[in-house]
Amino acid sequence: MSSEIGKDLVWRVRLGPLSIAFNPLTLATALGVALLLLLLGLWLRRGIPRDPEARPSRRLVLLTAFLEFVDRQILGTMEEKTKQNLLPFVATLFLFVLASNLSSLLPIPGLVAPTRDLNVTLGLALLVYAFCHIYGIRTKGLLRHGKSYLEPLPVMLPMNLVGDLGRTLSHAFRLFGNILGGSIMLAVIFPILVDLVARFRWILGILFLLVGLVALRALWRRGKKKAFYALGLAWLGALVLLVVHVWLPVLWVVPAAFLIGTGAGVVLNFFFGLFSGTIQALVFTLLAAAYIQMAAE
Amino acid sequence: MEIGAELVQGLKYLAAGICMGIGAIGPALGEGRIGASALESMARQPEMANTLLRNMIIADAIAETTGIYSLIVAIMILFVV
Repeated sequence: MSSEIGKDLVWRVRLGPLSIAFNPLTLATALGVALLLLLLGLWLRRGIPRDPEARPSRRLVLLTAFLEFVDRQILGTMEEKTKQNLLPFVATLFLFVLASNLSSLLPIPGLVAPTRDLNVTLGLALLVYAFCHIYGIRTKGLLRHGKSYLEPLPVMLPMNLVGDLGRTLSHAFRLFGNILGGSIMLAVIFPILVDLVARFRWILGILFLLVGLVALRALWRRGKKKAFYALGLAWLGALVLLVVHVWLPVLWVVPAAFLIGTGAGVVLNFFFGLFSGTIQALVFTLLAAAYIQMAAE
Repeated sequence: MEIGAELVQGLKYLAAGICMGIGAIGPALGEGRIGASALESMARQPEMANTLLRNMIIADAIAETTGIYSLIVAIMILFVV
């Protein structure tokens, strides 16, 4: 797994003088996510009752809750009019980035999050950048929007241009770096943990037995005879296993490695996949909304 | 592999480690400060917690930028150069 870091599947397509390289897995996953979101949107839309006075359906409530979340948490304290204009774009962006980040959690071999590819995040950042300009021109007019680059002084024009470039680049790199870093951490930590368990199985086994001894002593002192005998039997069994292990490592190592590996996998995937993916999607959208709002002012 | 190539490979790992390690100091200090101030303000004005959380995440993301840059540089040293 860790030997695959930094190596991606790349297809090259020649179009006359142009040579295009892309990762088919990323492209397929991104399109799959988009298709899934489209189907979700259609399904939710069909659940909206025709009659606005009717009792709201479950899907309508779900949709309202989501849009309210975007409205309150991401758009925050903007003016009502700006909010209305930005809501569809920002909600779509959030859903796409979130679904892309979480897609790596699906147990499909070879599947990687599309946002692990710089091309995808850079494309999204450029989309936000273009939206900034379009929105700025539409709200303020071409002249005033262009003039905002000469503020506070005309001398600051190069600074403003460099600021634009750096902002867009860091917007793309932030999402890409976080998702790639998380996946590298997963790929590196997981085999190390399993290897450690296999290597220090003796110490782990003796620790386990010591903890059992302490628990048995506490049970004996409190006078819980039944529990003491049951646990004592299990403890003797573990001791036998540890001794038998000299001849049959499979009995001890494989269950322990499996248990600890699964537990660590759940925890690591939860942190680097679910938690980090959601936070990064939120950050990406929050920053996009802030940039667009700045362009509109 | 001759000795020169091995040396270069080893120096690459060293460079990537130093780059990431030093680059992580700044964002860690910055995010710690941001988090501390945000928590302080939230404790003082709990009704502002939602707005503060939102602004805290934005500020965290901006403080994190240099860390992300050093990650990119470390990855480039390891796999691209």
